[in-house]
Amino acid sequence: MRYFNLYIYFIKFAFSKAMEFRVDFFFRVLMDLVFYIIQFGFFNILYLHTDILGGWNLEQMKIFIASFIFVDAFNMTFFANNSWQLPISINKGELDYYLTKPIASFFVLGLREIAANSFINLIFATCLLIFILVQSSLSFSLLSISIFILLLINGAFLYYMTFLVFLLPVFWSGSSRGFADVFFAAEKIFQRPDGIFTYYIRRFFLFILPFSAMASMPTRYLFEENKLIIFTQILGASLFIYALVWFIWSKALKNYTSASS
Amino acid sequence: MKSWGLQVFLMQLRKLVAYRLDFWVNFLGQTLFSLLIAYFLWSSIFSSSLQANINGESLQSMIFYYLMAPLVFRIQQGQGIGFLSREIYDGGLNKYLLYPIDYFKFKLSAYLANSFFFTLQLFAILCIYNLFFYDSTIYAFSFLYTLYFLISLLIGTCTFFFYFSTAELLAFWFDNTWSLGVALRFITSFLGGALIPLSFFPEWSTKALAYTPFPYFINLPMLIIQQKITHEKVFEQIFISILWLIVFYFISKFIWKKGNLVYSGVGI
Repeated sequence: MRYFNLYIYFIKFAFSKAMEFRVDFFFRVLMDLVFYIIQFGFFNILYLHTDILGGWNLEQMKIFIASFIFVDAFNMTFFANNSWQLPISINKGELDYYLTKPIASFFVLGLREIAANSFINLIFATCLLIFILVQSSLSFSLLSISIFILLLINGAFLYYMTFLVFLLPVFWSGSSRGFADVFFAAEKIFQRPDGIFTYYIRRFFLFILPFSAMASMPTRYLFEENKLIIFTQILGASLFIYALVWFIWSKALKNYTSASS
Repeated sequence: MKSWGLQVFLMQLRKLVAYRLDFWVNFLGQTLFSLLIAYFLWSSIFSSSLQANINGESLQSMIFYYLMAPLVFRIQQGQGIGFLSREIYDGGLNKYLLYPIDYFKFKLSAYLANSFFFTLQLFAILCIYNLFFYDSTIYAFSFLYTLYFLISLLIGTCTFFFYFSTAELLAFWFDNTWSLGVALRFITSFLGGALIPLSFFPEWSTKALAYTPFPYFINLPMLIIQQKITHEKVFEQIFISILWLIVFYFISKFIWKKGNLVYSGVGI
């Protein structure tokens, strides 16, 4: 309950901060809208040259695009600012303030920054996903859609946790970015259908670097019959990354020297 | 370049490789993942379309394109987002206003240092590619085309610097322009040909894009390095890209002058 109340304060603070910087609020909404339009443009151009991509036709692909846009919007709203700030805080030795507070350090450092401006985009992304699902000629049960949405929310958290795997080495390297550039090159995998990959690469991006478990596999859950297997695979991949981040985080805190660089 | 310009250039190079492990892991990781995604995406498209060539491109030439295009775009992005706005925002600009040097020249020197380093990386990757996958139908060395390529890269980088400055300098009026920078980068990468070669775009859109600066950032250097453009056309395209450079130079100078009038130097 204490953590819940604290999170409510984080949300209130985020909205009042967003209202202070109104132009930034507008720019951030614009940025995400540009990103969404480009994703649709990109796949529409690809489908000018093929009918099937990764086993999906254009209609199925549109559901997938709306799915990863939703995952992106959810991440941008609740997690992204924290992940961008974390390596800088470590590099500058600012972690001390949080480590001495009588609260779980990961909770404060990992969840305190909420981007209220991206919340507008999350609403837009949700509407877009609903619109595309309703427009689709494919039919889905309410239960399937509910689990699909939960899997996408898990996908957003999984995205954040996977990013942390690339960022937490800053505890040892002392740089201000970690391996963020590698992550930003790799994260495009989550914006591609897993069907384009061959067997072993597909497994790799499901279980080791689980980009496919963020949006592609949840979309597959919606389309395919073997729902239980897909659900179990996503769950297994997620638990592996969550355990890995917890392990690295506890090791990293022991290694933290507090010296700024 | 004046001696202080060279000093700034060299200092920036040293900063760039300060964290060596991060630097090399990021560089190799970025290249590897970009290539991996492109390979599987286009393999899937080629196999489902049942054609060996799409728009005159083979799978191998597409792989070469996706190996080079992100590197070309990286060269042009120099120091990345925030290279001007950050200092305007936090008041760090004050010190430059006191220096007896031109602010834009100072910043351009540092920006070009990053671009220079990324250019070396591009040629290192090109050498490695030729060592293992040499195919003269995809890439064949030509001194003249390499020279054209470097010229188009230099003009493209300077144009990108001033083009991006127009957004960065808005920090004089607005508290944070980072999101605007990211939006511009998204637009440029898509309309410039970093995500898909422009030859794959519908014809009406490529005609329209010819009247914008976007094709001159990534598409032109890529056409040159692949030798898909005649000598006459290279001169014509480079001439147009110089015009865009001049346009953005004057726009950014104009915003800089206006912005200076409202700059308080207080910072956050």
